[in-house]
Amino acid sequence: MTLYSTPFGSEKDHTDHTDGTFETLFEDAPCGYITTTPDGIITRANRTLARWTGLDQRALVGIAFVDLLTPSTQLFYETRYAVVLNLAGEVREVTLAVQCADDTELPIIVNAVTFAGPDGQPGGIRTAIFDATERQDYERQLLAARRAAEASADRVRVLQDASSAFGIVTSAQELAEALVESVGPALLASSAAVLLSGGPEPLEMVTDDETIRELLGSGIRDLAEQAIGSGEVVTVSSLAQAAAVMPGLDEAMHAQRLASLSIAPLRTDERTAGAIVCAFGRDRTFDDDTREILAALSRQAGQVLRRVRLQEELEHRALHDQLTGLANRKLLQERLDAAIATATRSERPVSVVFVDLDGFKAINDNLGHRVGDEVLVEVAERLRRVARAGDPVARYGGDEFVIVCEGADETAGEVIAERIREEVGRPLDSIPPRYAVAASIGVVAWKPAGAQLPSADLLLRLADEAMYVAKRGGRDRVSVTRF
Amino acid sequence: MTITSPLPSVDVLRRNNVAVSGVPDARPIVFAHGFGCSQEMWRAVAPRFESDHRVVLFDAVGAGHSDLASYDPVKYDSLHGYAADVLELLEALELRDVVFVGHSVAAMVGVLAATRDPSRFGALVLVGPSPRYLADAEADYEGGFEQADIEGMLDALDANYMGWSEAMAPMIMGNGERPELALELTESFCSVDPEIARHFARVTFLSDNRRDLSAVSTPTLVLQCSDDVIAPTNVGRYVHQQVSGSRFVELSATGHCPNLSAPDELTGEIRAFLR
Repeated sequence: MTLYSTPFGSEKDHTDHTDGTFETLFEDAPCGYITTTPDGIITRANRTLARWTGLDQRALVGIAFVDLLTPSTQLFYETRYAVVLNLAGEVREVTLAVQCADDTELPIIVNAVTFAGPDGQPGGIRTAIFDATERQDYERQLLAARRAAEASADRVRVLQDASSAFGIVTSAQELAEALVESVGPALLASSAAVLLSGGPEPLEMVTDDETIRELLGSGIRDLAEQAIGSGEVVTVSSLAQAAAVMPGLDEAMHAQRLASLSIAPLRTDERTAGAIVCAFGRDRTFDDDTREILAALSRQAGQVLRRVRLQEELEHRALHDQLTGLANRKLLQERLDAAIATATRSERPVSVVFVDLDGFKAINDNLGHRVGDEVLVEVAERLRRVARAGDPVARYGGDEFVIVCEGADETAGEVIAERIREEVGRPLDSIPPRYAVAASIGVVAWKPAGAQLPSADLLLRLADEAMYVAKRGGRDRVSVTRF
Repeated sequence: MTITSPLPSVDVLRRNNVAVSGVPDARPIVFAHGFGCSQEMWRAVAPRFESDHRVVLFDAVGAGHSDLASYDPVKYDSLHGYAADVLELLEALELRDVVFVGHSVAAMVGVLAATRDPSRFGALVLVGPSPRYLADAEADYEGGFEQADIEGMLDALDANYMGWSEAMAPMIMGNGERPELALELTESFCSVDPEIARHFARVTFLSDNRRDLSAVSTPTLVLQCSDDVIAPTNVGRYVHQQVSGSRFVELSATGHCPNLSAPDELTGEIRAFLR
C-alpha cells in the first residue's frame, strides 16, 4: 500500500525492502525502454538498451529511434511501423533489428504506444524493446523452410500444369501457345513469345505478342540465337545491362515499358531450333529457382516439340512425293475434292492441268534413273514456280504431274498450261543439251451448272484424255477440253 | 496513345475503393498512398482540400478495402500495372487538369501515369519520391540501400506478417482456419494482404524508374523531408534535377511520412505550389 502511494526514492526504508527504486525498475528492467518525441527522437533510454546495444546511454538521447535500426528494418519501420503507430496509437510484437555499436545486429521485438501531452496534442511514444535473438533464429528457420516448400510446390504445380497442357498439343504452333501460357504466369512475365525455325531458316516468332515483335529487330533475335547456340538461358537484368549487351536494346525496351528479359533455348534436335522469350516490366535478378523453372519448362517443351515435329513430318510424308516434295495422289484427291466443293458453292470454274513429259523415257533409259530423278526434281521445281500461289501441284505418276487451278476457266487454264509448257521446255541443268524434255498438257475446265457434280476422278480422267490429244497431236502442246 | 479500359468505370471505382469528396466542379486533386498503408495515410491532409477541390482518394489493389480478387500478379509485377490503374481511375471519373499527389512509391506511379498520358494531369506533387532505392555504383547513384537490405526487408515483412496472420490471428479470432478474417481485425489501420504486400515490396524496392523522370512534362513539385532514411535528400534532389522545370522544397518535417507527421506544412507547400 505504502509502496505504491509513495514517490520513489523519497523514503529510503521502502527502497531497501524492494528490488530497488522506480529508477532502477526503469533503468535495469529486463527489456530496453525508451521514450521519444512524436517524431521518434529519443528523449530517454534505459541502461538495459545501452548495455544491449553497446551504445552510450547519454548519446542515445537526441537521436532518432529509426537510426538505431538496420537498413532492412528501417524500410519496414518507416513504411509500416511508424504509420500504423501514428494511426492506431500502438503497435505490438513488431520484429525489428538494432545495429549495435560493434556492428552486430540485435533482433528485437517491440511494443509501442503513443501518449498525449498536457495540451492534448501528441506527446510522444513509449517503446518497450525485447531481445528476440532466439525467436528470430527460430523464425528464420521456419521462414526458410516455408519458402523452400512454397517454391518447390510452385515449381511442381507449374510443371504439372505445363505437362498436361503440352500433352494435348498436336502441332508446333499449339505447343508454342501452350508454352507461352505456362511461362508467362510462372515467371510473372508481362510478355512472352516463342521463336522457332526449321533448320537453316531464321527464327520466326510463332506466337502473338506485339511488344516482343517490336523488339525482334533490336537484338532479341540475336540473343535468341546466342541462347540456342550456347544451350544456356540468356538473361538481361536491367536496361543498363541491355545497353551493354546490345547497343540500342535498352531504348527499344524502355519504349515498350520493359526493363528485363530472359531467353531460354528449347532443346530439340538439329533440324529444329527455338527459344522462349520472356519480358518483364521491372529489373529482375534471375535466381536459381527461376532459372530452374525456365530450364525445366523449355526442356519439356523441347521434348514435345520433337514429338510434334516428327508427327508433322510423318503426316507430310504420307501426303507428299518423297522425291520431288510435291503433293502425292492422296493429297491431290483431297485438294481436288475440296476445290469441287468450293466451286459448287461459289459457282466459279475449276481447271485441272495434266502434264506429261515428252522425252523422259529416253533419258531414263540412256542416262540412268539417277539423272531421271534429277530431271523430275528440276521439273517439279519449275512447276511449283510457275503455278499460281496456292494452286496445289502434284506428282501423279512417273513423269505425270497435275495442277489444280481454282477459279480458272478454259481461257485462264490454257494460259497457265502454256506458261508451264514454255517453262518445262527450257533447257534443263541436269542433262546434256542433246537430250531435251517437253510437256504435253491436257486441260479440263469445269464450270458448275445445275445439279451435275463431277467427281475428282472424272476431272482427272478428262484431263488425262486431253493430254493424250496433245500427245497424239505431235507433243509439246496444250489441249483444252470443257466439261 | 489511348488506354482502353477493360472494366466498366463502376468496377474501377470499386476495385480501387475510390472515395470522392469536396466540391464537385472544382479542380480535382488525387491522393495516392505508398507501400505499407492505404488511403488512410491521407486522413490528416485530404480534408483540408475539400473546401475548394474535388478530392479523390483510393486504395491500390491489395491495400485497404480494394478488391483483392482484382490482384493479378503479372499485371502488378511492375509499377506500370499500378500506373495503368491510375489512368483508368482518372478516365472513369472523367478528370482533367488533375493535381496528383503521390507519396513514396506512389510518386513514381504518378510519374509513369503522367508520362504515359499527360493529357489528364495538371500538376504532380511527389512526396518523398525515389526512382530507385538501390545504390548503383556504376552510375554513381546513392539510392540509400543495398540488395541485401532489400532482401532483409522482405524477411522482416515475412517475420511480421507471420506474427499477425499465423500467431495472433487464431488467438484473437478463435478460428485457426480463417486467418485472413482475423487479419482485418488486427489490422484495423492500413490493412494490407500479406502475400500482396510481399510482392508489392519487391516491386517497390527493386524497381528502377530513373529513365522515366526526364519524360515528365507536367509541372512538378518535389517535396523532400529532412532525415528521410527511405528517400534521402540527395535522391530527392536527383528527382528534381531529372524532372525539368520542377520545384524542389525541403520540408522541416522529419521521417518519411509528412502526411502523418506534418500535415500543416505539407498542405501549405502543396497550396503554395498550386497558387
